[in-house]
Amino acid sequence: MIAFNNVTKYYPTRFGPRYVFKSLSFALPDDRDIAILGLNGAGKSTLLRLIGGIDFPSSGKVKANRFISWPLALSSGLQSTMTGRENVRFVCRIHGLSRSKSIEDYVQDFSELGQMFDLPLVNYSSGMRSKYSFAVSMAIDFDTYLIDEIMSVGDASFAKKCKEALQSKRETSNIVMVSHNVSTIRDHCNAVLVLSHGNAEFYESIERGIYRYENL
Amino acid sequence: MQKRSSLSIQKDVIFAIFVREMTSRFSQYTFGNAWIILEPVLMITLFILLFGARGRGEFGYAEPAVFIFSAFLTFKLLWQQTMKKNMGALSGARSILGFRQVSLFDVFLARTVIEGGLCVVAGVVIALGLMWFGFSPAPTNPLPVFFYGLVLLIFASGFGILACIVASFAKEIEKLISLLTMPILFTSAVFFPMTVVPEPYRTWLAWNPLVHAMELIRENWLSSYTSPVSDVQYFLSWTIGVLALALMSYRLSWKRMVAS
Repeated sequence: MIAFNNVTKYYPTRFGPRYVFKSLSFALPDDRDIAILGLNGAGKSTLLRLIGGIDFPSSGKVKANRFISWPLALSSGLQSTMTGRENVRFVCRIHGLSRSKSIEDYVQDFSELGQMFDLPLVNYSSGMRSKYSFAVSMAIDFDTYLIDEIMSVGDASFAKKCKEALQSKRETSNIVMVSHNVSTIRDHCNAVLVLSHGNAEFYESIERGIYRYENL
Repeated sequence: MQKRSSLSIQKDVIFAIFVREMTSRFSQYTFGNAWIILEPVLMITLFILLFGARGRGEFGYAEPAVFIFSAFLTFKLLWQQTMKKNMGALSGARSILGFRQVSLFDVFLARTVIEGGLCVVAGVVIALGLMWFGFSPAPTNPLPVFFYGLVLLIFASGFGILACIVASFAKEIEKLISLLTMPILFTSAVFFPMTVVPEPYRTWLAWNPLVHAMELIRENWLSSYTSPVSDVQYFLSWTIGVLALALMSYRLSWKRMVAS
């Protein structure tokens, strides 16, 4: 269970605090794959960062009793002067996985990088990079995967591969996904959280959620 | 995945940052990781040649090379580098704060440990080199030297953390500290012992806590030197004060700092 308890989040700006959420409370069920929808600036990525534990509420509490992945965005957490392999090793180390060989092999295989895997990330194209970061997170078993707009990059065959990987993950884990692409959401999710005007509305039917989002 | 205790997570994270800093710091250089050692060794060698060969540092307490070695190793690596690395920790490690296991404090800790370790390794390498040329660079009282070195490392780290926090309010502090690097070098009894400074300037300079760190280490490193000003209590109080202030400000502002 991931629960928000009276969460208020604001960012200080020159014009005073800019509120993203004011006393927001909700709970995300463990057995649903949730898409987060909302207009630009509605706080989708902030919400993901709060769930992922890399940003913190100004007041209130975020509670979770699951292993949650880092919010998987295009450039998250990876050092571009280090090679793909070194980055994987770093991720394994901070997750306490001392045997990283099998994970390295998995990432190399899944990301289809071949020899490029042993080159620094600066040499990767944006498509390779998104494949790579997607593969890194898939290599580690989390209870919840946080995915931030990463599926939109990459070619058709890789999109298919991602879809299959996510499908198999969905048997044991769930995903929380931010995407503007309605068809991606129809493919991967079965519940929708719509963020509007600082509120969160939970829809068990994705069609109703998407309808609400399209008429915001 | 297994559930780990907070302590074991922190241990894993610090080790991971340690390896990461080691592999990524010089990865784009031709000689790669050799620079980890080469950089301080070259720097100290250059100082020894610049000052030592001209006979500066010859104050009757030790051979110029040993005098310069003991002072610059301490000042450059333990104080300057540690302080700068801690000050730049937030901008340098922004990307790894995208993992929930990594806290900003782990970055400070890892960087401090790295700089301390580098100082010891570089010190040993240069000392062996000096021995090769017939000097006797080893400290007379190694244990006190290590102790004061450790206190200086903590002082530098606390100062750097504080600077990092202040810089997150006003970026200008980084510029100010870079500007002050030279004046601090000149007023911290680095390439001269305090015995050559006449009163009343001696008392004035002795307000600087770094003077005490340098003098305490020098006293214990060179057998015939006794410092006219060194005061353990004064330096320890500064260290505790700076560290306490740094930790308190960190506790108050870390959330604001990691929010991007």
